[in-house]
Amino acid sequence: MAQILQVEDVSKKFASRLAVNQLTLSISSGEIVGFLGPNGAGKTTAMRMICGFFPPSSGRILIDGVDIQQEPTTAKKMIGYLPETVSLYGDMRVVEYLNFVAAVKGVGFLSRAKAVKEKIEQCGLGDVSKRLIGRLSKGFKQRVGLAQALLGDPKLLVLDEPTSGLDPKQISDIRALIHGLKKDRAVLFSTHILPEVSMLCSRVVMLDQGRVLASGTVEELEAHLSEDFQIQVTILGRSKTTEAVHVLQGIEGLKDIHFVVAESEQVVLTCRAPAQLEFRNVITERLSKQGISVIEIKREQLTLEEIFLRLLK
Amino acid sequence: MKNILYLARKEFSSYFHTWQGVFLTLFFFLVSGLFFSLLILGYAKMSMGQMGEQLAQAGVNQTDYIFGSFFMNLSTLLIFIAPVLTMRGFAEERRDQTLELLFTYPLSDREIVLGKFLGQVWMFELLCVPLLGYGLVAQLAGADFDWRVVLLAFVGFWILGLAYLSLGFFISTLTKSPVLSAVATFGVFLIFWVLEWASKVSDGWIAQFFQEVSPLDHYRYFTMGQIHFQHAGYFVLTIFFFLTMSVMSISTRNWKSS
Ligand SMILES: Nc1ncnc2c1ncn2[C@@H]1O[C@H](COP(=O)(O)OP(=O)(O)OP(=O)(O)O)[C@@H](O)[C@H]1O
Ligand SMILES: [Mg+2]
Repeated sequence: MAQILQVEDVSKKFASRLAVNQLTLSISSGEIVGFLGPNGAGKTTAMRMICGFFPPSSGRILIDGVDIQQEPTTAKKMIGYLPETVSLYGDMRVVEYLNFVAAVKGVGFLSRAKAVKEKIEQCGLGDVSKRLIGRLSKGFKQRVGLAQALLGDPKLLVLDEPTSGLDPKQISDIRALIHGLKKDRAVLFSTHILPEVSMLCSRVVMLDQGRVLASGTVEELEAHLSEDFQIQVTILGRSKTTEAVHVLQGIEGLKDIHFVVAESEQVVLTCRAPAQLEFRNVITERLSKQGISVIEIKREQLTLEEIFLRLLK
Repeated sequence: MKNILYLARKEFSSYFHTWQGVFLTLFFFLVSGLFFSLLILGYAKMSMGQMGEQLAQAGVNQTDYIFGSFFMNLSTLLIFIAPVLTMRGFAEERRDQTLELLFTYPLSDREIVLGKFLGQVWMFELLCVPLLGYGLVAQLAGADFDWRVVLLAFVGFWILGLAYLSLGFFISTLTKSPVLSAVATFGVFLIFWVLEWASKVSDGWIAQFFQEVSPLDHYRYFTMGQIHFQHAGYFVLTIFFFLTMSVMSISTRNWKSS
């Protein structure tokens, strides 16, 4: 698939501090990539470089194959950016502002009014379009910010914490909007709300101290992370406990075998297993062979929060 | 090119988003009108008395007396007006952090500087429109002006204004505070004013030096209806210099949080 964004070995140095350290990243059309990382990880700095606000200290950024430093105007036409703190011209009216943005983004005079109207509807700004931006509530300013990012139909959308500080209704509206946007577009967005990432993103890039800590789909991250994970086996029949423990001990690779007696006749056994192997079938098979009935085998699923925290350790 | 016009239009109309534009226009209109009326009255009074003959003997005609002083007074008024016109330029955008988006639009730094500057020039030109009216009114009332001189003086005032604006514009790229930008610009203009004065009281190469540096000395030739390559060149170079400096200033984007 066509690579819309390619970030190659990009670093940014402020005085003596390295805010982004050899970041490499690429996003293709139709993908939504979540940008995660603790405060000060360098997400905003990376996004500002991607959007051409300031140049990287080293490395190269290509937007649909166009180097943003060599041909800034061509590259910037393909980007829509929503900054972390959405600061707009407070003394302009919403329509007036969006018209200005459409003009400088190169939307032709004839199609401008239509484009602006479309974005106003898409972002639910119809009721406030004649009002001064400075008088709007934060959520509506955010929507105006999103509308200006969408103007010019950019191939790459860069959204820095698009849902921070919004009420739950608006958060879900904006999420739906982002989700609807991914068609023939690449989206990079940063957030501190992790469930949002699982919901929206096809891929995650986790940043810490300017470096990529991990990247991939949520499942890949998890697999990559835990050399071993927890398996929980529930069996029926207290009397079979010792036997079951023996069976588990007999399977190579399983460690830390414990058991707890649960309600009625159920016993819960826990053990740790290496991530690469699928143990479910083996366990079920061996236990059944001994005549032990297995009620449930569960693999403990790590949430993104847990992955995040463990990665940072 | 189109982008420059879009930016200029936005900059120009931003003066009228508050009362600033209206207030400036009125202020400039009233004060310059007051200067002009006083000069006319003063001249009328003098030419009727004995002074009139003395003036004529000294070779001072109506145009020199009225417009010469008028345009020198206007240049003083500009010291107060120009900082107010330019103070918001970049300082306000930096304070309000609106540059983050502006810099990510498909605009070059040069377009941004020229567009914003052009918008301010438009505002300045709007202020100048009534000045032509004064001349016409006086003409209708029976004055006899040398229009060539008046128009050259007018051009001189325009280019002096542009030079002042370019300086103020550059200063506004250096700070986050519009007020500081205005005060600093005003300070530099005061230095110019002192330079002109200094060039009069000193002599030798020092006087020469002050004359070359001071914009007011170069401007004086225009108000006398003379146009010299060196004086026009001085202003063109000044404007070019400060606009280039502004482009350089905004291209270092390492100021925190904007
Ligand atoms: N203009 C600047 N000058 C100097 N240092 C800066 C500048 N901008 C950012 N930094 C530093 O770079 C580092 C990364 O900051 P950045 O804003 O990119 O983090 P972030 O991941 O967006 O954090 P957050 O989650 O809080 O938004 C921080 O240590 C910050 O202090
Ligand atoms: Mg940030």
